[in-house]
Amino acid sequence: MFKKVLIANRGEIALRINRACHELGVSTVAIFSDVDRQSLHVRYADEAFCVGPGPVMRSYLNIPNIISAALISGCDAIHPGYGFLAENARFAEIAADHGLVFIGPKPAVIAAMGDKATAKRLMSEAGVPTTPGSGIVASVDEAKAVADEIGYPVLLKATAGGGGKGMRAVSSADELPTAFATARAEAEASFKDGRMYVEKLIVNPRHVEVQVLADEHGGAVHLGERDCSVQKPSHQKLIEEAPAPELDPAVRARLHEVAVSAVRAVGYTNAGTLEFLVSGDQTYFMEMNTRIQVEHPVTELVYGVDLVKEQIRIASGEPLGFTQDDLQAHGHAIEVRVNAEDPQNGFAPAAGTLTNVVFPGGPGIRVDTHVYTGAVVPPFYDSMLAKIVAVGRTRESALLRMERALGETRIEGVKTTVDICREIVADPEFRAGGIGVAWLPAFLARRTAAV
Amino acid sequence: MTEDVIATRARALAGALAESGFARVRIRDGETEIELRRAAGSAGARALAPAAAADGVAGEREPVREPAARAADVIASEVVGIVRFLRPPVIEGQEVEADRDLGYVETLGIRNAVRTRGPGRMGAILVTDGQAVEYGQPLFTVERV
Repeated sequence: MFKKVLIANRGEIALRINRACHELGVSTVAIFSDVDRQSLHVRYADEAFCVGPGPVMRSYLNIPNIISAALISGCDAIHPGYGFLAENARFAEIAADHGLVFIGPKPAVIAAMGDKATAKRLMSEAGVPTTPGSGIVASVDEAKAVADEIGYPVLLKATAGGGGKGMRAVSSADELPTAFATARAEAEASFKDGRMYVEKLIVNPRHVEVQVLADEHGGAVHLGERDCSVQKPSHQKLIEEAPAPELDPAVRARLHEVAVSAVRAVGYTNAGTLEFLVSGDQTYFMEMNTRIQVEHPVTELVYGVDLVKEQIRIASGEPLGFTQDDLQAHGHAIEVRVNAEDPQNGFAPAAGTLTNVVFPGGPGIRVDTHVYTGAVVPPFYDSMLAKIVAVGRTRESALLRMERALGETRIEGVKTTVDICREIVADPEFRAGGIGVAWLPAFLARRTAAV
Repeated sequence: MTEDVIATRARALAGALAESGFARVRIRDGETEIELRRAAGSAGARALAPAAAADGVAGEREPVREPAARAADVIASEVVGIVRFLRPPVIEGQEVEADRDLGYVETLGIRNAVRTRGPGRMGAILVTDGQAVEYGQPLFTVERV
């Protein structure tokens, strides 16, 4: 086991990793930007280094200062959390070059999965069902030929893309030339990589993802699926749950099975998530996230496994302490993301001082957060303030607990997603289960129209 | 808050501390906290980066031996690394010119120069040769003359 781990992140995930390390008897080193000096992750770590000013390029993405902090404090590993440098293969390589273990998969695997067209090809070769479509298309004419063959609507996607950038839905051949040009320009501007591919657009699919863990000795397991279909119009997840409600057992079993075989096929190690689109009994691989995810607690609560501790154990060379047969899901868990955002104004992020903060408690409630009364929300970072997670023996009991917990939550000083999430959790269509990714945008539109 | 604002505030605070005769001054503004203390036996004001480890230092009173200068440049580290003094190292009270090399902070084998801004007299030497320093950590003060 490692002696000391540098946590290359901020906010709730930095605190989450700090907790896992301390439970494993591992010392921690936090990094922070100078606007985060009062943040809890700094206070709870054994040591802390300021690595730069507020803007992320100069602090949380400042590779030389982060590696230097790890070296001068005598760390033997780095946990990247999610976001920032978590899926940066170059960072993982640089860490390794300096004798630091990167807690995640190998750099080559991160790079392969980070390139969407490569990931799709590798998964397809491993027998994972993927969306019908093309490899890289060099021109509009090539894109058009593919679209004619698979049928409209299609999705143009940048292979380096992410966060909806470099992506366009195209419903007919007329729209294709403009969409192709703008998506490619956007990808070139955002990722310095304008390579595009085409795939079939699946209308209103569910977003279902499978959690996997794989050690460095050939052990690989899945920890079931999460349903993340409640997405804002920007495609960012807002509410997640495990297991996926109203999912055909045959579909569920197939997703679990292909996830584990894909992990073995690509030589994946550590924690990862395979994201799928599900439409009826059809499943399509979308992408693989080579990191711990924001929504990992719902899986932890139904499987009783600490995923962050498992990441650290795996990276330190330990074999998995369990087999697939040892893993049984119990009950149902749901997570709500409490963001400093204004739902009435397109979820525009808000910054400011939190004048009053009270989080819920009681049976079946877990809160992962880094904020407190008086904490300042800087304008530079992700707007997530907390994750409220409810677990129950059934979905119904978990949802009731979540409603109760959101009612107990008080956050004053900035606008948040607490109330909108409470409305969603109480909504009969959401309660029924099995909604698709188009549900929340439609719900929001109905709500606006009703006002 | 930008580093320039912090540096400006630290400088202003150093001046105020020098004139006040207080041993220790701390200002907190939301996310940022700046604390300056007079070091024992030091003529100049001493600036401390309030890292978590340095937080909550007991408010011991330290003697003020000499009147301090009116204003001081706080020379802070721009990187995380190990600070190295040039030989021979500067000493407190030594007159220095503008852009004078005082040492460097080594980060992953790269030497990041540490220089004076304007001319003046060396105030406090806030670190020791070979010490690990973080971004924004004050290394030296240079009193404007």
